[in-house]
Amino acid sequence: MLDFSLVNVLGACLIITSMTVVLARTGAGAAKLYALQSAVLVSLLAVLGTVTGSTELYMWSVSAFITKVVLVPCILLFVLKKITATAPGVAVDLPPKLAPMKCVALVAVEVFACFVVVSGIDLPTAAAVKPTLAVAFAHFFIGLTCIVIQRSVVKQIFGYCLMENGSHVTLALLAPQAPELVEIGIATDAIFAVVILSVMVLTLARKAHTLDADDLCELKG
Amino acid sequence: MEIVVAIVQALLLVAAAPLMSGIARKIRAKMHSRQGASVFQDYYDLAKLWKRTEVRAGTAGLVTRIMPPLFLATFVVIAAGLPLITRACPVPLLGDVITVLYLMALPRFVFSLASIDSGASYTSIGGIRELIVGVLVEPALMLVLVVMALACGSTNVGTMATSVATFTATPPVAVVVAGVAFAIACYMEMGKVPFDMAEAEQEIQEGPLAELSGPSLAMLKLGMSVKQAVVAGLFIALFLPVGAAASMAPLDLIVGFVALIVKMLVVFLVVSVIENAVIRVRYKYLGRYTWFAVGIAALSFVFLIIGI
Repeated sequence: MLDFSLVNVLGACLIITSMTVVLARTGAGAAKLYALQSAVLVSLLAVLGTVTGSTELYMWSVSAFITKVVLVPCILLFVLKKITATAPGVAVDLPPKLAPMKCVALVAVEVFACFVVVSGIDLPTAAAVKPTLAVAFAHFFIGLTCIVIQRSVVKQIFGYCLMENGSHVTLALLAPQAPELVEIGIATDAIFAVVILSVMVLTLARKAHTLDADDLCELKG
Repeated sequence: MEIVVAIVQALLLVAAAPLMSGIARKIRAKMHSRQGASVFQDYYDLAKLWKRTEVRAGTAGLVTRIMPPLFLATFVVIAAGLPLITRACPVPLLGDVITVLYLMALPRFVFSLASIDSGASYTSIGGIRELIVGVLVEPALMLVLVVMALACGSTNVGTMATSVATFTATPPVAVVVAGVAFAIACYMEMGKVPFDMAEAEQEIQEGPLAELSGPSLAMLKLGMSVKQAVVAGLFIALFLPVGAAASMAPLDLIVGFVALIVKMLVVFLVVSVIENAVIRVRYKYLGRYTWFAVGIAALSFVFLIIGI
């Protein structure tokens, strides 16, 4: 059972969970679903470590568990709580611009387009995991979809996080033997980005009293 | 033996279908903290309607007359062909998904035709809405069945059920996602609450019921219950073949029969809980929900293509 087909199955689970993150109605729900997605990512890294026999990936899955499953969702939940506490009346859960039901079809199209692109690339290291490579590639576009269709800036952070996860999977697939230093660099990079984005969102909620991306376009100076 | 199984399961579905809607109504009453009517209420209603004289609109013609028996008979035929008790189709000729889909489209077509046949404006709107539901839901159903046909290598429902039961349908994730899409599409096809309001006034579908009376109405009401049971049965046959008889041995058949009853009850329990937990939707917004089913079906198709 522990072979590349399991990696591909987990890749499919990544797509499904990231879709639920995009579809989540509340920010808190999205944060919890993001934790679930990251848990799938961690197991994918661990399985990939077993299959390719690279011990670096075990280390990476542990660090990804700490940063992505625990820290990032906690930071985001903390920010959501802080917004309601310090800036009451600011709407966090704004309805998205595109009907969420249509996103599912959009995601399907994105995954298909990415597979078409990936199937044109001939990589000896990723021949058996081409579907997962397409999935990883598609995460970039799913994240972009999340950023484009969401009006709430809090939910746009999740779009960034999804792109992040996609880049993680891509690197793990293409370079399983990458040294720890590279992996630590990538993992910490995500944490700092989320912290900075959270501080910005919190400041926006306090100073501008809105988290609507359309309203924020009118900010000046 | 196969013919006996086919006849038994068709008769069983027809006999049990009013009971299923009776149970659903009882569950609704319990959720409203009411006592509710007996679970056999639908049988009493049918018996009462059967005794009444038939009254038809003056303009109603042949279509209105043949619609109720045709509606009921078509679903009985589908029920006979589905692999419900056994994994293989009892009547292989009727077990092809394309046949099943077209047989399900036939009553809908005649139903809508009858709605304009009576000449009343209310019923024709009902018939048009019924067609809208069909147009919106059927793409998802077809796409899922195409995915299943490609994953299992056959358009025969029995072969699909066998390969799902033995876990040989590949790729597995595509099959699971297809199952989810099929469940949603079946729920819509059953005409349950967000997509219909058949209990008091017919908001979305079932408009033509207003023009029928007596035995015709009884036949159509029974036909609609059978339709719900058949749609649920199609889902069970394809995606829940647990316990279905792998051979024609008597013991296997008994186990398959018991398993079928249990699966049907579970499906109807889940359906009626969902039905009573949601508010009804205006038919204008139906497209939003059907997009979801089509989207998931498309996702399963993509998973099939990329092979996961």
